[in-house]
Amino acid sequence: MAVRVERPTTVVPWNRGRVSSWLTTVDHKRIGILYIVTSLVFFLAGGVLSILMRTQLATPDADVFSRDSYNQLFTMHGTTMIFLVVVPILAGFGNFLVPLMIGARDVAFPRLNALSYWLFLFGGIVLYSSWFAGGGAPQSGWTSYPPLSVYTQGNGQDLWILSLHILTLASLAGAINFIVTIHNMRTRGMTWMRIPLFVWTIEVYSILLVLVLPALSAGLTLLLLDRQAGTHFFIPSEGGNAVLYQHVFWFFGHPEVYIMILPAMGIISEVIPVFARKPIFGYKAIAISTAVIGFYSLLVWGHHMFTVGMPGYLLGFFMVSSMIIAVPTGIKIFNWVATTWRGNLIFDTAMLFALGFIVVFTIGGLSGIFLAAYPFDWQVHDTYFVVAHLHYVLFGGSMFGIFAGLYYWWPKMFGRILNERLGKVHFWLTFAGFNMAFFPQHMLGLDGMARRIYNYRDVGQWAEYNLVSTIGSYIMGLGILAFVVNVVITRKRGRRAGNDPWLADTLEWYTTSPPQPHNFDQVPYVTSARPLRDLRRRLQEARG
Amino acid sequence: MMLRRRGALGGARQGRKALAVPLCALAVILGPTGAAHAGTGGLTPVDQKSPNVERSTDIYYLILGFSGLIMLLVTVPLLIFIVRYRGRGRSREVEGAQIRGNTRLELAWTALPVLILAVIAGFVFYKVPGITDLEAEASGDSRLEIKVDGRQFYWQYRYPNDVIAIDTLRVPLGQVVELEIGAPESDVNHSFWIPALGGKFDAIPGETTRTSFRADEVGTYEGQCAEFCGVQHAAMLQAVEVMPRGEFETWLANEAGAQRRGASELGERTYQGACAKCHGMAGEGLIGPPLAGNSLLQDRDALEMIVRNGQGAMPAVGEGWEDRQMDALFRHLRRNVAGGSGAEDGS
Repeated sequence: MAVRVERPTTVVPWNRGRVSSWLTTVDHKRIGILYIVTSLVFFLAGGVLSILMRTQLATPDADVFSRDSYNQLFTMHGTTMIFLVVVPILAGFGNFLVPLMIGARDVAFPRLNALSYWLFLFGGIVLYSSWFAGGGAPQSGWTSYPPLSVYTQGNGQDLWILSLHILTLASLAGAINFIVTIHNMRTRGMTWMRIPLFVWTIEVYSILLVLVLPALSAGLTLLLLDRQAGTHFFIPSEGGNAVLYQHVFWFFGHPEVYIMILPAMGIISEVIPVFARKPIFGYKAIAISTAVIGFYSLLVWGHHMFTVGMPGYLLGFFMVSSMIIAVPTGIKIFNWVATTWRGNLIFDTAMLFALGFIVVFTIGGLSGIFLAAYPFDWQVHDTYFVVAHLHYVLFGGSMFGIFAGLYYWWPKMFGRILNERLGKVHFWLTFAGFNMAFFPQHMLGLDGMARRIYNYRDVGQWAEYNLVSTIGSYIMGLGILAFVVNVVITRKRGRRAGNDPWLADTLEWYTTSPPQPHNFDQVPYVTSARPLRDLRRRLQEARG
Repeated sequence: MMLRRRGALGGARQGRKALAVPLCALAVILGPTGAAHAGTGGLTPVDQKSPNVERSTDIYYLILGFSGLIMLLVTVPLLIFIVRYRGRGRSREVEGAQIRGNTRLELAWTALPVLILAVIAGFVFYKVPGITDLEAEASGDSRLEIKVDGRQFYWQYRYPNDVIAIDTLRVPLGQVVELEIGAPESDVNHSFWIPALGGKFDAIPGETTRTSFRADEVGTYEGQCAEFCGVQHAAMLQAVEVMPRGEFETWLANEAGAQRRGASELGERTYQGACAKCHGMAGEGLIGPPLAGNSLLQDRDALEMIVRNGQGAMPAVGEGWEDRQMDALFRHLRRNVAGGSGAEDGS
């Protein structure tokens, strides 16, 4: 009797395997993880730079760094956090989650996706290689305004331009991929009003990237030509126009702010309902407000340039358009608060970061109104008030959202739940340290302390505020350290997650944790924005 | 109702214990920031010494009021909900109220911000004329127009009677002073700002910005270049010295004569503004090479070449200077820096 025993095919989990399999992978989940891990490494690097800066600023006339080194620190810190951390880590979340959330097998163009990641990594390496360039790292700020950035000696500035060019290509490829995927690969029944709100934000994020990155590329190309090819687009003494660069840069730069915040808002919109055990309040309002913010973000760039001497009607226009953005932003905030009403609130770390986000992001949004009112902006433009504002938006906003997302989706990505106790230490240290580091900077700005200075006059309470700010930054550093320890511990000893540890609403929780290479064996027909809850209810009813 | 079932006693106690951590964190934040506040009143902007700053500060307080209101509208309900609807150890399986939205609420929290922002924008437009176009206090009073040049890394001012001043600008009390701010074409961007006297305006090569102020109290008001301009950006400090009208007129007339004769302090001021920030107050060298004992100081033509055109990392600090300023600087260098001994006849 011939018995044919079929050997069960061993499926290697998507996250295991040789290094070479990671180098050649086109799996959206692996690429997502590569994005996230790489961005976190750059986040630590950028964080160290900020701690060094705060150390220099702890006392009015410290001598920890030379002027040049300090200028390099803030240039590299800003460039790192924006181009190598927030934008790519959100791309990482998008990569991992979008196909899972819409019930797809992968993104539309897996190879393009891999190219996009590798370009990002090389762009980052090029930027960091500039420390070793003649003249050192770039030192004209993350905005690199000409004529200064044209006259800056050494090759650091050129590497900065090259790096940003590469990163621009990476983001552009990624964005096109997201758009095509979201438009064409949604599973049966998943209409536009049923896609998860995070996917909505990735859609708008991608459209914005496609619209504005070419402006940045153009500006950078002209800058490079001015530096190296003898042109003078931005050199006034040769008939060029220095303000032109600012227009081009901020036409990219302001939408970039929303590129960095919208997906974080999407994460918040996913986390709060799950931990409030409720549906999101006002799904349509939040989805539409995302699109409205995206649209208006293209019309407000001039508020970065209120001091260049614009005609009155432009000042008025940019003030009003900037203020209008506060309305859809407010709608989101009120809807999140309303989502917690009559819920069964479970304060896991992801939820703590989401609730913390609401508080600190609201402060960041409100300080933005001061900056939109141009006569008052003339007072606080380019001061520590702006530094406080942008950190409330980009750390209190984007990074809090990102941490919420990491704690929420970690089990899905790696199959283990991050340690809750360390998570809470991480949250409270970060929340306390963050407010301590950045709230006093509002006062410094109001009192006239300019940004981008390596030492400062010992007047008023400047020394005290700065010292408090520095101590706050160290506390934040400890918080981040708790996160790193958490990651290391969870890797070995973390609690196993199961498919759906949070009893969540969206499709990614339908598959295994971590998901199989092909994502789903089958995808249920989607009848609402909460397909998993629908499934659970149907199961319950079937059981009686 | 299932949803409203109270948690067990243990859950409540656990809740109280859990609250200890956030309260400690709050103390950590409020303690030092509160202490740091006590001195200046925290969120109070700088003293206002000119009507335009007073008016933009009015805008600040209006927005601060509304911001406080909105902050309360967001955080108070949030805190109440966090306390009132906390899980109390209930299982994840227990769902909250399945509320999907409310159109009236959506309309309300769309309309309210629109109204608030309309009020703020309206108030700004109402205040703008008084900020950008200061009325002269007494009728028939003329404005004092001063040209301001931002340069790496000093400010050069030129009065209507061609008197030149560096870094510190002297102005009369109570008269409208109009600044025409620019930068030499070969320089980089700067931004002129005296917080107590008005907002900042960029000094961009090839562009001109204008602002005005009317100082209403005698005193010296400090400021700092507010647009990153390179290695010595932090050293680019400026001040406005407000003097009684008569005293100012006398000083300006005397200074004009002294600068024509070459008997003013222009050389010393130029040295302090344009040279000392990189070469040291006594020419001992800092980020630039030492000047004291440097043989170049004896060679006027070679020196002038470098000062006017720059060299290597040194910007063209003296581009566009009139001869009297170059003369004054050269005189000062020879007397006070060249030998380091202050010998009068250095050559």
